[in-house]
Formats: sequence, structure tokens, C-alpha cells
Amino acid sequence: MTISHHPPDELLADFATGRLDEADHLVVAVHVAQCPACRRFAGAMEHLAGAALEETAPVAMKADAFAAIMAKLDEPQPAPRADVPPPSALPDEDLPEILRRCRFGKQRRVAPGLKLQPIILPSAKQSRAFLLWSAPGARMLQHSHSGTELTCVLKGSFSHEAGRYGPGDFDFGDGDVDHQPVVGPEEPCLCLVAMTGDLELHGLLGRLISPFVRL
Amino acid sequence: MPARRWIRLQRTPLERPKATVEWAELIGRVAAHGDRDAFKLLFEHFAPRVKGLLMKIGTDADTAEEIAQSTLLAVWRKAAQFDPSSGGAAAWIFTIARNLRIDAARRAVRQARADQPGLIDDVDDIVDSPEILMTRGEDVSRVAAALLRLSEEQSRVVRMSFIEERPHAEIAESLGIPLGTVKSRIRLAMSRLRDLLDEPT
Repeated sequence: MTISHHPPDELLADFATGRLDEADHLVVAVHVAQCPACRRFAGAMEHLAGAALEETAPVAMKADAFAAIMAKLDEPQPAPRADVPPPSALPDEDLPEILRRCRFGKQRRVAPGLKLQPIILPSAKQSRAFLLWSAPGARMLQHSHSGTELTCVLKGSFSHEAGRYGPGDFDFGDGDVDHQPVVGPEEPCLCLVAMTGDLELHGLLGRLISPFVRL
Repeated sequence: MPARRWIRLQRTPLERPKATVEWAELIGRVAAHGDRDAFKLLFEHFAPRVKGLLMKIGTDADTAEEIAQSTLLAVWRKAAQFDPSSGGAAAWIFTIARNLRIDAARRAVRQARADQPGLIDDVDDIVDSPEILMTRGEDVSRVAAALLRLSEEQSRVVRMSFIEERPHAEIAESLGIPLGTVKSRIRLAMSRLRDLLDEPT
């Protein structure tokens, strides 16, 4: 697998320092898990953070803090909670490890050749995450974004003006992007998407069907 | 014996790389035989710094204290998972604190949501999984080499912006440079870092 599209540097830095909303974090994590270059970049950010930590002016801990921790050292560790949440309609796909641990909502059809399955993220503030299947050769509606859209391709491919996106590739769209992705003809395309705000569909068809396309 | 080491560390603040190795060694002693003296040194050094860094980025004092305590407790419990060859005890401790901060922020969102009537909430048993601690193995030397070649000026703006989370305007004021320069310097630093990391060692 050759990954040629990566998250913007700043997004990756926010990921490494733990500042992304839950849905965005998930999509970047899935990309990073497959991408050695981005893993190194995130690692570099962690090292810079370590250096910053060393140089941070210390703020005194509470007087009893150390005693409080010492008292806990010998406590049996809390039993690891059932690590895998109940597979709630885990889709029948070869998903990355990180996604296998997620909980999924119900799969639904959003438009011809387009189906979606939400990922239940209890702590996401503004963004939502979902899996999106599109039929081979499908021409998605031309759209722009009122918020941001983070996409990691899991299977198949799509193309738009910025190039071709295959497995592992990451696409970042925001209000400045107005595009019409076309799904590769070889097989259905499965993407993990995190989205804030709404899609804005263009063209007559878009305006006609937009009330029915609920992403 | 550990006390002596501590004194030496304090007396030689300039030998930072050496000190980093020592921290790794202390973590190793915690892992190998639950060395409480070693742990105390780690606590005294890192807990107040974790608290300080968290407060710097806007975490309230109580939460920062709590996360700093949990971080050090996790250092004790996970000491065996620390890889000394990664060379970054401080980076490792940062990642623990970061994950705990993500957990705390997520819990707060869920709590706020649970307090709203009418919203279902069966999420208390959801496993928090900010699984972003990565095994890096052979990448370690590449990362270290790249960071060494990043100029002090560049690494400073990246640190200020992303780790200390200071607004660009504040960075501009603190460095005495125009706002536009801050933005371009950050952008350049990031792409330089990318390039350096992509170079084979």
C-alpha cells in the first residue's frame, strides 16, 4: 500500500498533542496507524512535548499528593474493563483494529449507491464519524462543506481534483473545498469519515435531492 | 543511593541529555523491582511539571493536580511498558498525561450530556481508548536526528503553538516578531520537520 495523501501538518500536531475532537481523532488515528511517515511526525511532536515538559516551570503539588499515590501503589489494579464493547452491528468488513473496538449504529442507505453506518462516539462534541460505502464508478454529488470533513480510505478508491485516494490515504476538506469525488471502478469504496457542519450540495440535482440526503 | 543521584541531577542542569538517560534508568528500576525511592524522584520531578504544563494550557488547578497524580500512578503501573531505547522518558510521561487529559475531557462531555434530561446515556461503561501511543522501534533514531536538525527558532514556535497552545498573537508578542512571521515560521517549521523525517538516515 502506498499512501500519498496525508493529514495537514497542523491537524497531525493537534492529534499528537491530544487536542482533536473524538471523531476527528479517530480518523487521524486510523491513518497514522497505517502511515509510517505520519507516525514519525506524531512521534516528533511527542518528543518536542517531552522537551517542553522538562522546561515547564513546576507548580507545587498538594502536600499530601505523594502520600495519596503511595497509598494506591499496592492497591490491586482495577480489573481491565471488558475491552471490547459489545459488537453492535460490526460491519462485515476487514476493519482496522482501532475501528473494531468502536460501537456502531444502524447501517442505512442515504442515496442510490451510497450507504452509511454511524460510529457511536459518546464524547464527540461537534463532529460525527461514520463509515461510508459508495458503489464502484459512482459520481458523488458536487459538494462543499460548512465545516470540516476528514476522510480516510479503507478500501477501494476515489478521485477528485486533488488526485486519487486509495487505501490509507487521507483527505481533508473544509469550507474552501468544492469538489465532486468519483469512485474508482474496481470495487466499492469504503471510507471512514468525520464531519462537522453540513454538506452543501450543488447543481440542480443536488438541490432537488438534498432534503433526502442526510449524512 | 537514589538521593545522591538526585543531587547530582540538580547540580548539573546543563547536562540535559544525560539527565534524560537517568530518568529512563529510574523508570527501569521501578519496572524491575518496584523501587519506591526511584519512583519518588520521578514523582518529585515530573508531577509538578505535568501540573504546570496542564495549567499553562488552561486546565484548572484541581483537574491539573488530579491528572498529574494519575499520570505518576500510571508511570508506576506501566513502567515495564516504557522502552528505554526510545530515549524519551519525558516524552513518554507526556503521552500518559495527554491520554489522561483526553479521557478527562471526554468524561466531562459525557457528564454534561448525562445531566441533560431526555438524552439517553448508557455510556459510562464505554472503554476510553485514545490509543495513540505507538510503537516506533526503528523510527526513534530518525525522529531524534530530525529534531536535532530543526533550528532552535523553529522548534520553539512549534512548541509554543502546539504544546503550550499559545495563540499566535501571544507568540508574536513574546518573540517580538510580527503575527504574519509567526504563522509562516510555524508553517515552515512543520514542513521542514516533515522533510527531515522523510530523509533516510
